[in-house]
Amino acid sequence: MIDDSLLTPALQGVHLSRSFGEGETKTTVLYDVSIELFSGQITLLMGPSGSGKSTLLAILSGLLHPDSGTVMALGHDLWAMSDLERERFRLRHCGFIFQGYNLFNALTARQQLEMVLRWGEGASAGEARRRAEEMLDLLGLAKKAHLRPTELSGGEKQRVAIGRALIKEPNFCFADEPTSALDWKAGQQVIELLRSAAHDRGATVLVVAHDARIIEHVDRVVHMEDGRLWQQEEHEAREPVLHTLKQAR
Amino acid sequence: MASYSLTTLWYERQRYVPGVLAVAFSALLIALQVGLLLGLFSITSIPIDHTKADVWMGAPEVSSVDLGRPIPEGRLARMAYLSEIKRCEIYLQGFAFWSKPNNGGSELCMVIGSHLSPDSLGKIKELTPEQCGLLAEEGTVIIDKSDEKKLGVEIEKKAEISGYPVRVVSTTHGLPSLAGPYVLCSIATARKCLPVWKDNTTTYVLGQCRNRQDAPKVVKQLNQYKDVLAFTQDEFSKRTRLHWLLRTKAGIALGYAAALGLLVGAVVTSQTLYAATVASLREYAVLRALGIPRWRIAFMVVSQSFWIGIIGIALALPAAYGLAWAVEYFIRVAIVALPWWLLSAAAAVTLAMALVSGLFALRSLRQIEPAMLLR
Ligand SMILES: Nc1ncnc2c1ncn2[C@@H]1O[C@H](COP(=O)(O)OP(=O)(O)O)[C@@H](O)[C@H]1O
Ligand SMILES: [Mg+2]
Repeated sequence: MIDDSLLTPALQGVHLSRSFGEGETKTTVLYDVSIELFSGQITLLMGPSGSGKSTLLAILSGLLHPDSGTVMALGHDLWAMSDLERERFRLRHCGFIFQGYNLFNALTARQQLEMVLRWGEGASAGEARRRAEEMLDLLGLAKKAHLRPTELSGGEKQRVAIGRALIKEPNFCFADEPTSALDWKAGQQVIELLRSAAHDRGATVLVVAHDARIIEHVDRVVHMEDGRLWQQEEHEAREPVLHTLKQAR
Repeated sequence: MASYSLTTLWYERQRYVPGVLAVAFSALLIALQVGLLLGLFSITSIPIDHTKADVWMGAPEVSSVDLGRPIPEGRLARMAYLSEIKRCEIYLQGFAFWSKPNNGGSELCMVIGSHLSPDSLGKIKELTPEQCGLLAEEGTVIIDKSDEKKLGVEIEKKAEISGYPVRVVSTTHGLPSLAGPYVLCSIATARKCLPVWKDNTTTYVLGQCRNRQDAPKVVKQLNQYKDVLAFTQDEFSKRTRLHWLLRTKAGIALGYAAALGLLVGAVVTSQTLYAATVASLREYAVLRALGIPRWRIAFMVVSQSFWIGIIGIALALPAAYGLAWAVEYFIRVAIVALPWWLLSAAAAVTLAMALVSGLFALRSLRQIEPAMLLR
């Protein structure tokens, strides 16, 4: 059985361009970039610092407006929506992880997760608690649920941040350099968690990272340099198979 | 929802301390200032509030109980004639110069001369029957214990009022005065001390109604004559306090001070919340990226301001009571009045101030920008 969603890209950026500044200080960061992301896959976006990775991720995830081009997400034109519609879209479908952990100092690991459900979906206290505990269990943090960020290690904090991104079971998960502040062991754990979000939950995961060691943990690698994508490596059997299937149709 | 703001408030309490203190300070300032005002000006109407008369009748221009002018004693008949009136009597009150013994200088004092029988209308309730007995002797007076030093006398010491020799026979307790110490005596003694009130004149005619509810009706009938002005006890008491409030400008001054206190409280609270929100900007930005509506975050900030207000007020009210008690303990006069309605009003005004500060702090939310997280 081939799921239709595996054949059409869940997220598709077409001819995306973006520049910053005006007049003489104007710098173009993205030149006509097109990219497709598939559900159930984890894609790694690599490239030197300043090459435009974060900008591309922001545009694909509905945080930053492109100058031109379109983003189709689950069949919707993301940048044709109103701000409010896009906000609702992100609420229903998008999870985010950033380099800093960005956790509230005053709240426990469990509360950081509950907050998203209570404020985002209006979930009841009981339901939010149950789901937060489930998620922390999955992240290997069951025993740390009551701890605040200052009592957690960097890797643990980033896992809480992943929990916060995944707790609403989003279709998309965007991670901008989630491992840069971590040692390799903790970074590996983080990548594994993101990978299982794609493989076990069918999420579409886009990760920006530097470390080449990550490559073997992902389904697909996209390289970026000076605002252009220049290569797409597909190093697992799944992708070619999908392409063959597509052609067969 | 309240739990996140309370948890944050508690966990980062050192950050919120200035806001809480500012709220407490504002609430305390308002409660104590208005309380002081109420307390002070209730002193001015003591002769009305501590006596039994339902109706006061005086000269037409009278604006405060201490500013009575002489009226003919015969006006008593006008009141006595009314069927609603059970009994009425004359009452003398006026300023006079008190000369301290041994050429110790002089003081302005307020002489009050009234009938002294147990059912007298003008007798201040602090006077005991024994003291009334002592005052029956002409030339004897009673002052308040707290005024002994000011008047330079003690019990059994002699002084002069307007050149007339008087002897202090006893003292009352808790009869504070604002314009001049009260000197209590009989009508006969008062006539000697207050030369302006010649025989056959009085300052007020006091009346007691058969039925207290008839007082307004009696007042209305008496005021048909233009050569007197009559009030119910309550009206005259309020008129006196209002007069003092306006005459001394104290009300306006204290009003400004309270407004200033509120303003300072609002600015500090607002800045505290602003700084706290800015410190969590990146966390809020993540929530915004995750699609959580802005109003949830705004609600969080405003509910923090609510709790800051509640905690500040909770600190201020016992402090207000404590200070009022301390003042009373040290100067031995209950000068600060803190009725429940004043405390509730002070609490309500300060809470509103805290909430407005919260609303002002919302401008910090404009800085929340999810794209700022992508560096
Ligand atoms: N808001 C902005 N204003 C001006 N220049 C920006 C802004 N955001 C990014 N840039 C510039 O765009 C370029 C690409 O940035 P970014 O996408 O963050 O790169 P990367 O994530 O690959 O390091 C950089 O040169 C950066 O300075
Ligand atoms: Mg970047």
